[in-house]
Amino acid sequence: MSFLAFFFIVVSLVTFVAAQLILKRAMVGTKTTGFRNAQFVWKATAGIILMTISFFLTLGLLQRFDLSYLYPFQGLSVIFITLTAAIVLKEKLNLRLAIGALLISVGIVLVSLS
Amino acid sequence: MQNRPSGFANPWLQLTLSVACVLVSEFLLKRGATEVANTDSAWSWTGINGLASPLVWWAILLIIASFISWLYVLRHIPITIAFPLSRVVDILVPLGCWIFLGELISPLRWCGIALVVIGLALVAKPIARIEERL
Repeated sequence: MSFLAFFFIVVSLVTFVAAQLILKRAMVGTKTTGFRNAQFVWKATAGIILMTISFFLTLGLLQRFDLSYLYPFQGLSVIFITLTAAIVLKEKLNLRLAIGALLISVGIVLVSLS
Repeated sequence: MQNRPSGFANPWLQLTLSVACVLVSEFLLKRGATEVANTDSAWSWTGINGLASPLVWWAILLIIASFISWLYVLRHIPITIAFPLSRVVDILVPLGCWIFLGELISPLRWCGIALVVIGLALVAKPIARIEERL
């Protein structure tokens, strides 16, 4: 794998994780303030832009590599999102959830390797 | 319990719909992207040329549908639970290939599928408690 490929895989992963966290924050905010406020529009727009960047980078990668090769990296997003949601969004993370997320990630990697 | 969204508004139903749309879109994207692949062009790293395939546009429609469902899920379910559960799609893809396309699944892949199922069960366990709070 070339450095360029690695770079684009990492960027698509980071933008995807960031988008999920921002969108989660935007949607939770609507419970108290509704949809018609600048905070929601700003966060939802940022989330959608990041998701779009991640989508097109993945499409570019799919043209070069097999889906089965790219899947392990998607599997890592489970671990990243679970950990960052606990740290950034202060969501409760117990041992059961952490082990569950880890098993899902390892499982996805094994499914893609074989 | 009395405020729990029911019927079509049930966040767990929306999570299922979101996963189903992603599942179909994954197959459409791979086929569409391969159909129009032109890896000689430097621009193809951005994936923009994938838009030349109608299958990619169908996939985009499904992704938008899944995205709307997903936003609704995010509003009601913690992301530490919803996101790992949404990755059930990662075992549904090979299982779909096995059931519908007759493709073989290697022992290592079965082990991976088993790990994901155990992981999903662990993550899903606290759902009963969240259900009560909805």
